[in-house]
Amino acid sequence: MKFDLSLVLAALPRVSDAALVNLRIAILALCLALLGGTALTVLRSLKIPSVNRVIAVLLSFIRGTPILIQIFLVYYGLPAATGLRLAPEVAGIAAIAINSSFFISEIMRGSLPEIEGGQIEASTALGLPPSVIWRKVILPQLFRKISPMLINEGTVVVKGTALLSVITVVEALRVSQQIGAAKFRPFEPIVAAALMFLTINLALMALGWALERRFAREIR
Amino acid sequence: MALDLSVITDNIPLFLEGAWMTLRIAAAAFVAGMAIGTLAAVASLSGIAPLRWLVAGYIAIMRGIPFIVLLFLIHYGLPAAGIRNPALVNGIAALSLFAGAYYTEIIRACVRALPKGQWESARAIGMSPFAAARIVIVPQILAPMVPPVVNCTMTMIKESSVISSITVAELTFSGLVVQGNTFAPFEVFIAVALLYWLICGLFATAARAFESRLAGTRRNRGLTPLVGRYLILEGRRT
Repeated sequence: MKFDLSLVLAALPRVSDAALVNLRIAILALCLALLGGTALTVLRSLKIPSVNRVIAVLLSFIRGTPILIQIFLVYYGLPAATGLRLAPEVAGIAAIAINSSFFISEIMRGSLPEIEGGQIEASTALGLPPSVIWRKVILPQLFRKISPMLINEGTVVVKGTALLSVITVVEALRVSQQIGAAKFRPFEPIVAAALMFLTINLALMALGWALERRFAREIR
Repeated sequence: MALDLSVITDNIPLFLEGAWMTLRIAAAAFVAGMAIGTLAAVASLSGIAPLRWLVAGYIAIMRGIPFIVLLFLIHYGLPAAGIRNPALVNGIAALSLFAGAYYTEIIRACVRALPKGQWESARAIGMSPFAAARIVIVPQILAPMVPPVVNCTMTMIKESSVISSITVAELTFSGLVVQGNTFAPFEVFIAVALLYWLICGLFATAARAFESRLAGTRRNRGLTPLVGRYLILEGRRT
């Protein structure tokens, strides 16, 4: 059987429509993860021993288990354990956002010591309360420092949305599989899906380079 | 709701079989991925422009598409091209290609970090390129390669769970089978997660021991307690 480019092109309109679902899920999950990751970071900085111990265990769990299993736990496990049944898309967003929150908090932990300590001493000497030090001194600089890594995390999140096809979310990969099943040609529609993911992620990486260049210029 | 542990204890052999298969897949993908990574890194460093572009394209594609899409591309694409492999072989092939891209970047970065004179003097005293690589370059990049390779391999082990979707009987697949028989998804996926956690945890612990032996950890360079209150997340509040 020969590779048939026209089948790829025929699948593209429907698959690209479905890719908007991936994009929506990724953006939502990433926004939630940014909030969650920042909150986790500030919470960890309070160094409440019991809280930090719990976070350390959760972090190790999130980092040590596949995101596919985490998605299964939220989608299949949560209703069985608590009776709380989430729609596939909601469960997927929740799983990806939780996963990414912990990774973003780890990214922040890595870059926090790069911030000039004198600024915090000066802010404290000026009598700024901790909440203001976080909001006005630390976080703006921190987000700038970690923006390349956040872009990378963004591509991970976009790729994670493909896994939601397994829990019946109708996104690009699942639509391409449906087209493949209807036409008995599974390969070409998946090429279309691959192109969509590649496009989104390359655009994201290009945005990352543009950001980096701009920041580099501003520092000079 | 009460946890029904019998779901897990009754199916321990199935879970362990799956875990064993996951380890074997990961080991095979590690070896094949390292081979791909070494070849691609050499091609990329060779200075031949078309080869460099080819490797750059390979890496961009592997980083840009989800692993599950790569897996389906191989699993459905090879039969369409007349190559029929068992699902296990396709799964390992996809995982190797995926990990190989990350290994390529690691190897390339480690070689680039060496002073250029190392390679040039080795060649200047008459070593063949192969001898220069084997005797001068490789021994020096092994140590710095370890931490990123361990990290990447852990990602790869976790990513192998996706291979369950082409019906390879690894750990996640055995979880899905047990879940189909028992209708106890919470217990089953917690058990599966714990097994992955165990595998990754052992791996990470070994890696950390290895790492701290390689280099004394350099961190938190003289931050005062006040500064540490904001910029350090571990330890006691000061």
